[in-house]
Amino acid sequence: MKAIDALDLYKRFGSIVAVDSVSFQVEEGEIFGLLGPNGAGKTTTIRMLTGILKPDRGEARIMGYNIRKDPVKARMLIGVVPEEANPYPDLSAWDNLMLVGRLYGLPKHTVEDRASSLLRLLDLYDARKRRAGNLSKGMRQKLLVAMALIGEPKVLFLDEPTSGLDVLSARKIRGLILDLKKNGDTILLTTHNVEEAGTLCDRILIINGGRVIEMGTPEDLRIKSGLYTYVSVTLNRAVDEKDAAKFFDEWDYRIQDSRILFVCSDPTKLMVRIVEYAKAKGLDIVNISTAPPSLEDVFVKVIAGG
Amino acid sequence: MKTGSFRHFSIGVWTICWKDIKLYYAKGPIVVTGVLFPLFLWAAFYMGRGLDFNEGLASLVTLSIFFTSSSVTPIIAPWETRQRTLEMLVSRPVTVTTILVGDILASTIFGLIFIIPIFLCGVVLGAIPSNVLLAALLTVITAVGFSSLGVLFSALPTDTPADVVLLASTVKLPLIFVSGVLIPLSQLPEWALAIAVVSPLTYPTDLLRGLYIGNTFFPMFADFSATVILTVVFTLGALILHKRTLFARLQKR
Repeated sequence: MKAIDALDLYKRFGSIVAVDSVSFQVEEGEIFGLLGPNGAGKTTTIRMLTGILKPDRGEARIMGYNIRKDPVKARMLIGVVPEEANPYPDLSAWDNLMLVGRLYGLPKHTVEDRASSLLRLLDLYDARKRRAGNLSKGMRQKLLVAMALIGEPKVLFLDEPTSGLDVLSARKIRGLILDLKKNGDTILLTTHNVEEAGTLCDRILIINGGRVIEMGTPEDLRIKSGLYTYVSVTLNRAVDEKDAAKFFDEWDYRIQDSRILFVCSDPTKLMVRIVEYAKAKGLDIVNISTAPPSLEDVFVKVIAGG
Repeated sequence: MKTGSFRHFSIGVWTICWKDIKLYYAKGPIVVTGVLFPLFLWAAFYMGRGLDFNEGLASLVTLSIFFTSSSVTPIIAPWETRQRTLEMLVSRPVTVTTILVGDILASTIFGLIFIIPIFLCGVVLGAIPSNVLLAALLTVITAVGFSSLGVLFSALPTDTPADVVLLASTVKLPLIFVSGVLIPLSQLPEWALAIAVVSPLTYPTDLLRGLYIGNTFFPMFADFSATVILTVVFTLGALILHKRTLFARLQKR
């Protein structure tokens, strides 16, 4: 059973196709990222997965439950930090948490205990009596995270969770996401921050114009992008040019005494050849380092279609 | 907690009810729209005209329930759509039915709370319905019915409360003149009586007036049945319409 199963999701608003046949599956315990520029269809996809929007076509399942046919059962298992929804501004942070917690059918004392823990974890406890409308943007965002977690969800949907947060708060949220993963929870997050996606996500789906462009682990995406990786290998003796030419003729390289600098698109194959070369020539590899393309480079290339 | 269980449903309903009371009813402006307005409207029609006090009291009760129970429910859905709190709510494990029943419950409680002083004033001044239990039951059913009517208005898929207030006022205000509340049914012209027959305000007014003064325009059984039927129609209508318009409402955002 997949934690999230999106099958051929399609959504049109008037003449604009916001999501066009998007399909993917997320395993339990995975952090899955949706990456894309503004207007790519990330939020619309999440809103269909959480049952806020009805897809024109396609189906979404959460832990096996169809979100349209069994919405309550599915939502008992999920928590949502929406990009475009708010806590009740005229209720205090505490009351907002109590409201949401009770909607999960939890006993009052359980909700109170969980609310206290979450508020302390997110450094909101001292502000618990303040109206949500009077909280700063960052504090409101943390409150939304707390409201998403109060039901102890198995699957968490985070739509731009660190957007607008200061560095410390954003780091705290990222730490929390990793802790939830260790707990076995599944997380689907959307973000504009490419490096954040690269750091947190097990797999990333790049979406643009409502369509899936690429999907894979950050490493897969880097390799698939065809962008170059710089590889530097230092050996224990000066490199002979003629010997090197026999082994490395298919790559671009430069020799600097005992060091060889390569530019390649397939570092894996090159690594194997370097080891073969060193073994054949009785050399020791003193140091080997790679500078792969950044995920941002990959993202720009993929989105630009270049 | 087993989803779909009555316990889950009732916790959800009471939670929404609590939310509404805290956000919308425990506020000063509600006293104006729900209490003072009908009181002064009634006073404008009854004071200085030498009309029977019992009859006047019956009219004031139904007029007050009509306004207090339907003053807030029309605006909750559009207001929360605009605030983007409705989307936050709908993403939780609650059904539309739970949310709406919670809204209706809060409005009914609010309506009944403001009726109690009127009834008590009547008792102090010697105006007591001939069947107190029936009067109480009728009042509760009427409060539920008018609360549901308010929720029905709010099914309009808009995020602008003024749109719904306009619709509700356009329907509600004319009804108070043709439902026997301010002008007895026996004194209405024929064309107004034709409208009175389809007005939800007519039957509880007529029955309550009958319980206070001893005679009714329609048979009491018909008044009671019509009140119950209209309450059921408004409640079911509100639930069905909101389920149909919810996605359109959220989609616009």
